[in-house]
Amino acid sequence: MTTRRILIIDDEETIQTVVQFGIKMTAGWDVLTASSGSKGIQTAQTEQPDAILLDVMMPEMDGIATFKALQSYPETEQIPVILLTAKAQAAEKRQFNDLGVSGVITKPFNSLDLPDQIARILHW
Amino acid sequence: MSKGSSQRSSQPRKQKSSSAIAGQKRTNKLLLAALFENACDAIAIIDDWGYFIDVNVAAMQVFGLPGEALVGCNVQDFTDGALDIEQIRGHAQTKPKSLGELHLVCRDGVQRDVEYTLTPEVLPHRHLLILRDISGRREVMENELRRQRQRVELFSEVTLKIRQSLQLKEILQTTVTEVQRILQADRVLIYQVFSDGTGKTISEAVLPDYPVILDMEFPVEVFPTDYQQLYAQGRVRAIADVHDPANGLTDCLVEFVEQFGIKAKLIVPILQNLNSHPQNESNSQNQLWGLLIAHQCNTPRHWVDFELELMQQLADQISIALAQAQLLEHLEDRVEARTVELKEVNRNLQQEITDRMQAEAALRQSEEQLRLITNALPVLIAYIDDQQRYRFNNQAYQDWFGRSPAEIDGCHLRDVWGENSYQKMQPHVEAALAGHVVTYENDILLNNGSPRSVDVTYIPDVDDQKTVKGFFALTSDISDRKAIERMKDEFISVVSHELRTPLTSLHSALKMLATGRLGTLTTDGQQLLGIADESTERLVRLVNNVLDLQRIESGEVIMDRQAHNAADLMIQATEAMQPMAHQHEITLVTQPADILIWADCDYILQALTNLLSNAIKFSSSGKTVWLTVEHQQCTNPEHNLTHPSPLTPHPSQPAPLPTSAVALFRVRDEGQGIPADQLERIFERFQQVDSSDSRKKGGTGLGLTICRKIIEQHDGRIWAESLPGQGSTFSFTLPALNGG
Repeated sequence: MTTRRILIIDDEETIQTVVQFGIKMTAGWDVLTASSGSKGIQTAQTEQPDAILLDVMMPEMDGIATFKALQSYPETEQIPVILLTAKAQAAEKRQFNDLGVSGVITKPFNSLDLPDQIARILHW
Repeated sequence: MSKGSSQRSSQPRKQKSSSAIAGQKRTNKLLLAALFENACDAIAIIDDWGYFIDVNVAAMQVFGLPGEALVGCNVQDFTDGALDIEQIRGHAQTKPKSLGELHLVCRDGVQRDVEYTLTPEVLPHRHLLILRDISGRREVMENELRRQRQRVELFSEVTLKIRQSLQLKEILQTTVTEVQRILQADRVLIYQVFSDGTGKTISEAVLPDYPVILDMEFPVEVFPTDYQQLYAQGRVRAIADVHDPANGLTDCLVEFVEQFGIKAKLIVPILQNLNSHPQNESNSQNQLWGLLIAHQCNTPRHWVDFELELMQQLADQISIALAQAQLLEHLEDRVEARTVELKEVNRNLQQEITDRMQAEAALRQSEEQLRLITNALPVLIAYIDDQQRYRFNNQAYQDWFGRSPAEIDGCHLRDVWGENSYQKMQPHVEAALAGHVVTYENDILLNNGSPRSVDVTYIPDVDDQKTVKGFFALTSDISDRKAIERMKDEFISVVSHELRTPLTSLHSALKMLATGRLGTLTTDGQQLLGIADESTERLVRLVNNVLDLQRIESGEVIMDRQAHNAADLMIQATEAMQPMAHQHEITLVTQPADILIWADCDYILQALTNLLSNAIKFSSSGKTVWLTVEHQQCTNPEHNLTHPSPLTPHPSQPAPLPTSAVALFRVRDEGQGIPADQLERIFERFQQVDSSDSRKKGGTGLGLTICRKIIEQHDGRIWAESLPGQGSTFSFTLPALNGG
């Protein structure tokens, strides 16, 4: 498995930490963190990660708005986005897929499983 | 004329001597002249044009002119041309004589009616005219006719007066009064004969100079029964003088009548036809009812035919009146009887009206009580007829709609609730009018714009003939309950979501610690870490289940139903559960069949895996768990709610499939089984046969509740059967699309 750079955008610091630790521990990938949508967009523009894990429920700018913003910039529109959500409904998953996101991972998840899940979703 | 007759008579005497013949001729001539002059009839000889040639004395009198003045006059001048001599002459061959009547206007101004005989050609161009004055005779006849007409008029006048009344007494009085007036008699009376032979004067018209005998009763001796017999046969007696022995009146009778100053009397019987009496139909004889009697008191009197006739006619009228009076009496009896009957009917009607009024009053009172009770309730209570119009509604309607019960009474549902709300109500209203008990919840907007959630029950009003006459509608406001439910759902949803984030951190952190790559723990430490990890996983399942259940119950989830092959779902579920089965050393056997079902595959998979997971968990290692499916034609109405039977609850969301075929899924294990009294309870939340056992198996206590909710959302049914010690079978049905 080649080394990847993953950006996690989540307002919860604990999530940022376990995601970072889990991915590093399992796959050894670099994990960048951002605690809000706007910060995440800036990081994505400058750092050009291989994939973005984006939390749906965030204050101010939520995951959907952030995703739409990322899609609107040419430098970020190609970066695959996987949503992290507590909403596990099948209908909602379809709705997210219709937006153009690459995949959905439902909370609660085991961060040790994340590299496998990401690789499967993005066909790495 | 004299010559003519001598010619005719001379023929057979040709042999006689001429002197004898001459002497005979002279004698005849004298005789004829005497006959001519002295004849009572007027005799005239006229010529061809009607001019008088010779006339006798009588003719001079008839025409009113002396002989010399009359000769040379024309007969046509007196007859106004009525006598056509030429015509009579023309017919002389066939009709030797012409007869007729003429009206003469004479010179003395007198007009006469005459009979005439015209014998043409008694001598050549001489005609014999004989006239007889009949003016006197005609006058007599006319007087007689006039008299008769007067009598007829009199009769009819009296008859009319009699007929104008139905009262017998009045008729009798009118009769005696009129007879007395017409006959100028001193007394006229009606004497009634009684069955014992006695009698009594019951009507009388008498001149003031003579004694009154009205109401006087007479003994049988005065009018013996043999006399009565004679009168009954129609005898009429006219006695000009009571003292005349020719009348044959007994002395005692003469003496008797003299005390009333009676000189002459006229008696006619009044008969009663017994035929009119129903009791004596066989006897057609007339019975003497009484007598109509006229008295002359000052002098004897010769009664004339007219008087007799008048009396008889009036007696007949009285007979008719008697018969009518009898009929009238009969009629009155019938009227009386009928009146009694009618009074009885009337009384009964009155009673009925009273009863009905009392019943109505009782009904009103009962209705008033019902109204008081229903008005005190905060629920909308109404009766709606089969035309969807209000026939009863309580006070609550006024509070909701601002219209009094009286205003709403008779209004259509649509007018009261508004078009939008009515649209939502309509299918349920129609179901109620089809005879189903309907219960449903609805969100409506009142006229003032305020939203309400209501719980509605319709109970059809079915009569003896199974006809739905209307329905009772109970509508309660569940807005508060709904608001609380929404708050609860929202709370659960938020809490579940909020729990997930810390759970993710906790879960991931524990998993990383467990890898040992962050440092090695003591054995005790590792054991504690294992407990923390396991509890976290259970907490995750619990949160997931709570959220699932809340979503399904709140209706937030709408089943996305499509056609699926049961076999595919069964294989997917088995594959998903295979690792767990392997872990528990359980053999998982599935027997898939191609049955098209109408379902949301995600939820059916959830239900299947849930049931399989339970079966595996509660089986000992080495046992087998079976998953089977079969096609069934449903006979249990509970399975098919598309056509609910009358008086069973009508589903708020009728199943879309007009089929009664189902797919029956079964999950069978060889576990410890479930006691019979627990078979139903295990589907309630947090109910397990043994809660300690449940914790040991890592269950949440919500799995079966979620399964039941999922299956019910699919219009199916789920249940459990078990033989304790031998295993359990969980079955559920889903609507099938084809015959399998």
